[in-house]
Amino acid sequence: MNDLAVEVKGLSVRFGDFYAVNGISFTVRRGETFGFLGANGAGKTTTIRVLCGLLRPSEGLVSVGGISFDHNEQAVKAKVGYMSQKFTLYNDMTVEENLNFTASLRKMEKATYEQRRKELFDFISFDKPLNTLVRDLSGGTKQQVSLAAALLHDPEIIFLDEPTAGVTPASRSRFWQLIRQLAKRNKTVFVTTHYMDEAEQCDRIALMREGRIIALDSPEGLKTAAFSTPMLEFDPRGSLSFAEVSAFARHDVFLFFEPYGLRFHAAIKSEDAWETVRNGFEKNFTIKRIKPSLEDVFIQIVEGKAG
Amino acid sequence: MNGFVWRRAVAVARKEVYHILRDPATLGAALVLPVFMVIMFGVAIEFNVKNVALAVSDSDQSQSSRRLLDTFGSSGYFLIHHVSSPHAGITDVSAERARAALVIPPRFEQDLFAGRGAEAQVLVDGTDNSTVGPVLGYVGSIQNMASQRIGGFDPSPPYEIRTRFLFNPELNSKWFVIPGLTVVVMSILSILLTALTVAREWENGSMELLLSTPVLPLEIIVGKLAPYGILGIIAVVFVYVIARTVFGIPFVGHLWVFGFGCLLFLITYLAQGLLISVATRKQTVAMQLSMMTGYLPSQLLSGFIFPIASMPAFFQYFTMILPARWFMLIARDTFLEGSSVLELAGPFLALALICGLMVFLAARRFKRDLEP
Ligand SMILES: Nc1ncnc2c1ncn2[C@@H]1O[C@H](COP(=O)(O)OP(=O)(O)OP(=O)(O)O)[C@@H](O)[C@H]1O
Ligand SMILES: [Mg+2]
Repeated sequence: MNDLAVEVKGLSVRFGDFYAVNGISFTVRRGETFGFLGANGAGKTTTIRVLCGLLRPSEGLVSVGGISFDHNEQAVKAKVGYMSQKFTLYNDMTVEENLNFTASLRKMEKATYEQRRKELFDFISFDKPLNTLVRDLSGGTKQQVSLAAALLHDPEIIFLDEPTAGVTPASRSRFWQLIRQLAKRNKTVFVTTHYMDEAEQCDRIALMREGRIIALDSPEGLKTAAFSTPMLEFDPRGSLSFAEVSAFARHDVFLFFEPYGLRFHAAIKSEDAWETVRNGFEKNFTIKRIKPSLEDVFIQIVEGKAG
Repeated sequence: MNGFVWRRAVAVARKEVYHILRDPATLGAALVLPVFMVIMFGVAIEFNVKNVALAVSDSDQSQSSRRLLDTFGSSGYFLIHHVSSPHAGITDVSAERARAALVIPPRFEQDLFAGRGAEAQVLVDGTDNSTVGPVLGYVGSIQNMASQRIGGFDPSPPYEIRTRFLFNPELNSKWFVIPGLTVVVMSILSILLTALTVAREWENGSMELLLSTPVLPLEIIVGKLAPYGILGIIAVVFVYVIARTVFGIPFVGHLWVFGFGCLLFLITYLAQGLLISVATRKQTVAMQLSMMTGYLPSQLLSGFIFPIASMPAFFQYFTMILPARWFMLIARDTFLEGSSVLELAGPFLALALICGLMVFLAARRFKRDLEP
């Protein structure tokens, strides 16, 4: 049996003359948590819509769960669960009505459905009455019930499009606990996000920019590949003027020098060059060697591509 | 594997019913609106049927003209007084000394005997809704009676009474208007509500989620339209019952002919609503478009208020593409005249044609949009 959950080769999606997705290729293994990162309009949602059978590719081959779309979209739809970015549940219906509706569309047996619903409510620790109107749920709970709806038919592959947009940090971390548990149950999770800390929890991440994948690896792999030289954190000793900061940022020794909260993160071109100028910087900063964060990696990759 | 599954269509329909029941505006529109409109139009168009003052200018003064007058007089509906000229008759009507005037031209009898077709004219104050309907009704039957009296038993009237409406060419009579309300009420419920419901699903993004399940486009259509179809039928039943019981409007035709017409019309408008909805995908635009292509033509161009015969030639042809025009004919006819389906073949054929076309267009567009 094929151990690839998703296989994409040379996928392009065109709207008129505009390429929303431009010749991307990647694979996702079964049981993998695969993250999709990218700025607004990068093409993440468009890619997911193709993988869920909602949009036909302009070019390229797509197979999901070992089935190619050209052959049987219905079979693919039975294997995947989708939580869309825009819509979660019908607000004017109760939790139960929403789930009943999904179950009917999936032609689930009543007994199977009720059993499954109970499991999922345990899974998301949902303890409110079933006849609560969705509009009365908090944002975080709503996302979790929506996840339950997407999981109802026990799909092999779950597509989550920005599932944690607009919920509290506590709900976000709770939601990611659920995602990790799904991974433990050997489900394939394909998730898009804007948050670096979330991306950090994926097995592998693809970074999208203007319809192309510009980096794809595990978080660790990305960090080592992007920075052969160490990363430094600069903590200013006193206040610095804007002119001073931009003078540092333009210094030849850095690959980049970017603000990071009140501090700065920088990558140096080589240790030798750094040693010659280091004393000058230590007057103004406390300097510390750090492991790069994913954000540093992406700045490096995006700057690299853009420059 | 790819067959239509009733359970999914029913699930979509049930969901739609929840939306309707929990949205007071929709429910109100569906239930209150028909009742409100029927009562409003019904009460506004009250009329009294007896003793219509009739000014008569008889320039012929022949035996035939006197027989004609006699028929009017003996009908019991008219109080006749003579005036000296046609002009004086009009003056009487505008001064409200008379509610209608009958003008018999000088060569009435001569034309009649010469077989040239004699003409007499009835002038009615069209602004006075309460007169128009009954006068029109009486003129028709008096013409029949009078031609028998004057011309022996010749069944085809040898002369014609022309009716002209002074001041206001629009015709309003409750008998005429209320059957037509079925058209207007359905135009609001079926086009507007379906256009909104499908557009809402696009607008909030839930259509995507529906389509990510194995549900088929046809199941979505059937499920989403069925509740509004039923709502439309309930509204028509309301109109019918109120018309019959509260206003005592007769229904001389066959219920099944009327029902068949309703069904064709309803399906046409549901399809039109769907088409608008799929094409616009925005509730605001869908609302405007369904007002423009559904409600307004049904109100203004269907013959509901303005008779099609008195429209400019262009509009007389243009209205032929409006399902409302044809259903208006069917509704009025089944209420007031009771023709058979065969006699109504023209309107039915036209309506069926438009219906088929609309369903075809909507289904094609919907399928093309939904299939990836
Ligand atoms: N149906 C469409 N017609 C035309 N352009 C579209 C359509 N759908 C998406 N686009 C365009 O394609 C590009 C990619 O959109 P997409 O929604 O995939 O981005 P995204 O990465 O999901 O962004 P976000 O983070 O905002 O969700 C955008 O520029 C968008 O405007
Ligand atoms: Mg998106």
